[in-house]
Amino acid sequence: MTVIHQTIVVRRDVHAKAKADAEAERRRLAARGTLAVNLLSSPGTGKTTLLEATARAWAGRYTMAVLVGDLETDRDAQRLRRLVPTAQLTTGGACHLELPLVRRGLEALGDPPVDFLFIENVGNLVCPASHDLAEHLRVVLVSVTEGDDKPGKYPKMFRTSQAMVVTKLDLLPHVPFSVDAVEADARRIQPALRCLQVAALGGQGIDHWCEYLVTERERRLASQQ
Amino acid sequence: MHERSLMKALLAQVDAIRVQHRAQKVSEVRVEVGPLSGVEPVQLATAFEEMALGTPCATAAFIIDEVGLLARCLDCHTEFEVVGFEFLCPECAGQVQVICGDSLQLISVGLELEHVAKEETT
Repeated sequence: MTVIHQTIVVRRDVHAKAKADAEAERRRLAARGTLAVNLLSSPGTGKTTLLEATARAWAGRYTMAVLVGDLETDRDAQRLRRLVPTAQLTTGGACHLELPLVRRGLEALGDPPVDFLFIENVGNLVCPASHDLAEHLRVVLVSVTEGDDKPGKYPKMFRTSQAMVVTKLDLLPHVPFSVDAVEADARRIQPALRCLQVAALGGQGIDHWCEYLVTERERRLASQQ
Repeated sequence: MHERSLMKALLAQVDAIRVQHRAQKVSEVRVEVGPLSGVEPVQLATAFEEMALGTPCATAAFIIDEVGLLARCLDCHTEFEVVGFEFLCPECAGQVQVICGDSLQLISVGLELEHVAKEETT
């Protein structure tokens, strides 16, 4: 018996199947009128607070549901459940969400045909950038207390996002943060990035944020059909 | 953590290829990573070492080709290497599309096939 060596040429993205699955799910959601928004940021940037403000602003006008990812606890879901249907996705230590977990969360909510499905990702500017969750819109949040040098340090996150929201704008007088600098740094990496600013606790900028989402929903759902 | 979840997917794909070709062992796994792959090569190699143990990949060579980040201008179609994550066309300042260096690619799989010669079977 002899051993033969054979080289099989593959040249395929390891995520190819995951990306195809995400694309199919994206189309399914679009077909029934749901815009999926993946929210990403460091821990403590204000993703949950922004969603609370969004839910209050839209009460009675647009329907929304939230899937919220954390390593442990359902603290964020408890906050959001008072306002909108919310499922907590606990990753048990994993640093990011993947599509199968998102699907499980949607099923837990009964797959509601909402206008907007928000996926609040695990607080992390690194790994979540590599995973397509079937979102139509990827939004990265940066708070003024984190520093305006973040985009260049986490290029993949900013390169793969369509919008950046600067949060906690009401704290700007107290911290050395330049909105112009963070926007310039982010646009160097993603020139098409839409830049928004909010102070969600006081409601500043929430109207622009909501308007942006409504416009994107109309535009992106029309282009997917 | 992230490299380990990627490695799990990679090893499953390699093993599917091994089974498809009826090979007993994998002798080489070659992958390609770039600056926007979201993968750290040293951590990926460590994940391979740990996770290939006890599998048909256990003795395989794991080769990582590190490539640069290449982009193509959507307006004038100039192709260039992206330096310092500056994603603007150097020719016309147009919007660009990344064409290489933003994913983890499985390039090839080396297999060991046991061949039974005809005279040995008689």
